[in-house]
This record gives sequence, C-alpha cells and structure tokens, in this order.
Amino acid sequence: MLLAALAVYPALGTGYGVRAMLQIFMWIALAGSWNLISGLTGYVSFGHVAFFGAGAYTGAILVAKADWPWLAAALAGGVGACAVALVIGYPCLRLKGPYFAIAMLGLNEVLRALVSYFEGLTGGGSGLSLPTLHATVPIYYAMAATAGGVTLLTYAIITSRFGLRLMTIREDELAAEAMGIDTARHKLYAFLLSAVGPGIAGALAARDQGYIEPVSVFPLATTITMIVMVLFGGKGTVWGPVLGAVALFVAQEFVWARFPYVHQLLFGAIIVAVVLLMPRGVLGILQIRYRLPRTI
Amino acid sequence: MPAPVLEVEGLHKHFGGVAAVDGVSLSLAAGRIYGLIGPNGSGKTTLFNCVTGLERRNAGRVLLNGERIDGLPPWRIALKGIGRTFQIIRVFPELTALENLLVVTRGHLEEARARALELLRFVRLEALQDEYAGNLSYGQQKLVEFARMLMRDPTLVLLDEPAAGVNRTLLNDLLEAVRQLRERGKTVLLVEHDMKVVMGLCETVFVLDHGEKIAEGPPGAIQADERVIEAYFGR
Repeated sequence: MLLAALAVYPALGTGYGVRAMLQIFMWIALAGSWNLISGLTGYVSFGHVAFFGAGAYTGAILVAKADWPWLAAALAGGVGACAVALVIGYPCLRLKGPYFAIAMLGLNEVLRALVSYFEGLTGGGSGLSLPTLHATVPIYYAMAATAGGVTLLTYAIITSRFGLRLMTIREDELAAEAMGIDTARHKLYAFLLSAVGPGIAGALAARDQGYIEPVSVFPLATTITMIVMVLFGGKGTVWGPVLGAVALFVAQEFVWARFPYVHQLLFGAIIVAVVLLMPRGVLGILQIRYRLPRTI
Repeated sequence: MPAPVLEVEGLHKHFGGVAAVDGVSLSLAAGRIYGLIGPNGSGKTTLFNCVTGLERRNAGRVLLNGERIDGLPPWRIALKGIGRTFQIIRVFPELTALENLLVVTRGHLEEARARALELLRFVRLEALQDEYAGNLSYGQQKLVEFARMLMRDPTLVLLDEPAAGVNRTLLNDLLEAVRQLRERGKTVLLVEHDMKVVMGLCETVFVLDHGEKIAEGPPGAIQADERVIEAYFGR
C-alpha cells in the first residue's frame, strides 16, 4: 500500500512535494547507513557526510567530464565512497571511542580541502556545474530505491549472525575478540557497507541539484542531522533511522517554514532531550518495554 | 608422557616499570584441572591475558599443543582452542542469552542453535534463552559466560575466579560442570581465591607472588609450603 502510494506519488504530487519526498528518501539512506556502522558496532562516525561528498564528486565529475549517464554515475558514487572507506577504514577503525569520532571529523575536512585543491577536476572552491537535465522524477525513484536498499540491507544484517557479531563489538569488543570474533575485519565490512548508501545518495543529490561545491556537500551539519535522526528513532534497529528521518525532516520543514530563526534552536533542543531522556530513541524504548525484536 | 596442551616459557609482562608477570613457566597436561593462586596483584589475570592474547607479552613463549601462539591476535588464539571466562563478567548485555552463544559460532545455523540450546540446558537456563543477558542475575550471567565459552568446544579452558560471588547451589553446579569438562578430556586452568574450591578440584596448583612462580605441586603440599604461607600471611 505504502509502496504503491510512493510509486504513484510523482504523478499526483506537486513539484515541492516530490522534492520533499526525495529529500526524505535521502535522509533515510544517510541515517540508515550511519546506523550500520555506529548503531551496530558503536563506532560513532562524526564525519559520515564525507562519503556523501565523495559520492557527490565522483558522480558529478563522471557526468560533467566523462558524459556518464546519471544512473551509472550514481552507482560509481557508491563505489567511490566505498573506496574512500577502504583506504581510511583500515587505520581509523583501530582507534577507539572519541578518537575514531575525531578521526572521521578530520577525514571530512581533508576531503573538503582536497576537492578545493584539485581545481582542474573539481572546479575547486567555485564549484562544479552539471549539464542541465530535468530528471527529478527518475531521480526520485532512484533515491527511493537507495533508501529501500539501505533499509533492506539493515534488516538482512540485523537478522544474521554477522549482525550479531557487529553488535558484540558495541557491547564488549575485548570479550568478542577473546571469543574468536575477528573484530577488525567485521568493523571494516560494516564501515564499507555504511559508505555505499551515502555515496549513491550524494551522486544522486549532485545530479538533482545540478551544481556542487565543497561547502555544500561536506557540511558537518549533515553528519549531525543523520546522527540525531538515528538516535531519535532508535539506534541498532531496522526502522529507527526511517522513523527518525521522516519525523525530523517533517518537523524541520514545518518549523523551518514558520519560524525561520527558531528551528536551529529547536533542533538543538531535540538533541539534548533525546540524549538526556531517551538515549535509546523511540523504537529502542518500545523494544525494551514490550520485548520487541530488533527488526522493528 | 603425552605432550603438554599448554606450555608457557619464561613469560614476561611489565606495565611501565612494574613487572606484572616476571619470567613464569608452566606446563599443563591434557585432561587435568590446574589451579593458579596467589595474593591480589600477583599477576594471575595478566598471565591469562597474555596466554589469550589480550595483552602482548614482553618476552617468553606460549605454545598450544606444541604450536606457538604468542603474538597471534586474540581471536585467532580463541579459534585454536582456548576458551575463557572473565573475572568481571563480560556477557554481551543487549544480546539475548541464546544470541550470546550463537554469535561465537560459524557454519550451519541450525546445528549451532541446537548446540546452544543444549548448552543452555546444561547450565539450566533454557527457560531464559530469549532474555537479554543484561537482565539476568549475576549468577545467571556467569553461567551464560561459561556456556558461551564452551560453544566452540575449546581444548583448554581458562576460568578467572569462577566461584566469586556465586551462591552455594550454583557453585556446586559449576564445579560439577568443570569436572565434566575434565571427563571429556579438556584441560582446565582456574584462578580462584576460594581455597576449598582449589583444594577440592585441582590436581596441581601453581602459586604466583609478585609476578613470579613461587611454588608448584599438589594442593596438600602447597598448603604446607613455607614460601606460600609467607606470600599470603607475611613473615
């Protein structure tokens, strides 16, 4: 029912509505991906937008300089983000707790500096323009598929022993090691998987917007937003990131429209309230109280 | 005489300037229960951690069934057949009791599930299989940890204070379980402060003091050993 409604929506909805839905799909893909690494293994990534940016630039360069079709470029964006994750995952995932978070924050700054530096390829600080294309509706479907793919992947992982092994890293990494679990390899797998969704979403967003610049695709605020969405919805669950993305995006749009200056204040208040009052998020609380499986 | 299951040769581990384990050598034969005792801070847990790879030794060799395992990462050592429990319980609190056992397995899922259920029955926790481990009582968590350690069918079992904080009924269950391990040919090394447990269970006891092995022998002889009495009670 819901799927059918989402499928026919572009034919019926307004331009603004389709655009808003596209954004919601993007946030579901981003929040869901952050949940894969940070919600499951407990390694808090504070620079996950780096993969969004890496995907955006990979996709945009392929479209603008090599005339790739946007869909192929989007998939390449996922591959590009994954490659970045492979290069930095190996050293960074040895770091624990806050050090990993800071290293990821640093990665994001490094990538932003790199794309600004290589002007020939990326347009540097003045940005990169893509050829005009009216494809919002096809991109809507592609973004929906990305969001659905990330959610499905999350379900498959959480219901598997691979997923349980990721959770042991969050619960007690040392005990997991002593029980024969190769935690380093598992962390890396989770990290690679968590980079694909943002990479594709970044490339799709770049194509949809038609113009990217370093500041617009590597904002720290995007990382914080995905973190808050997952924490609000419930980390380590399947539908928590979806709930968080929809609820916070709708709230933000609603408040944004009415109180342009208050929204950041309110967003900050939500972060504080979530962390203090319900660190498990909405679904996390329901899961514990009603003994529900993690697949909610 | 069969080859020893575990050999520790001249093991050294220091933290800063403090030698936690200072040249300890041990040899464990198959199918026997060994005790490791000593005052607090004498290096018992550090020795366990060096054998299981959780701490890197500074010098010395560790051999399992004649094969060197020192320097390997902990998960590899575990796969080679060493299981352990911890002094302070380390179950996975947000995994259920059953998941705590399942998660350490590979291969066929249904076989793993059958084995996990069998082990949960063995420690009499089958009714609580779907409870989060973090919600179980201290003693129950200890049993989950014990069962989890057995999931991979280790040849050598290291138990760090199995009797601590456990009531008498549960203690008897645990001791019975340890004896059963020996009957199945496993080798057990346990750290324990409860002398009744050590004397009743172990065939050979090693005594550590300030990181050095000061005595080794059957429990009766150890109890009468002057250096041991001195280490515990002073001159």
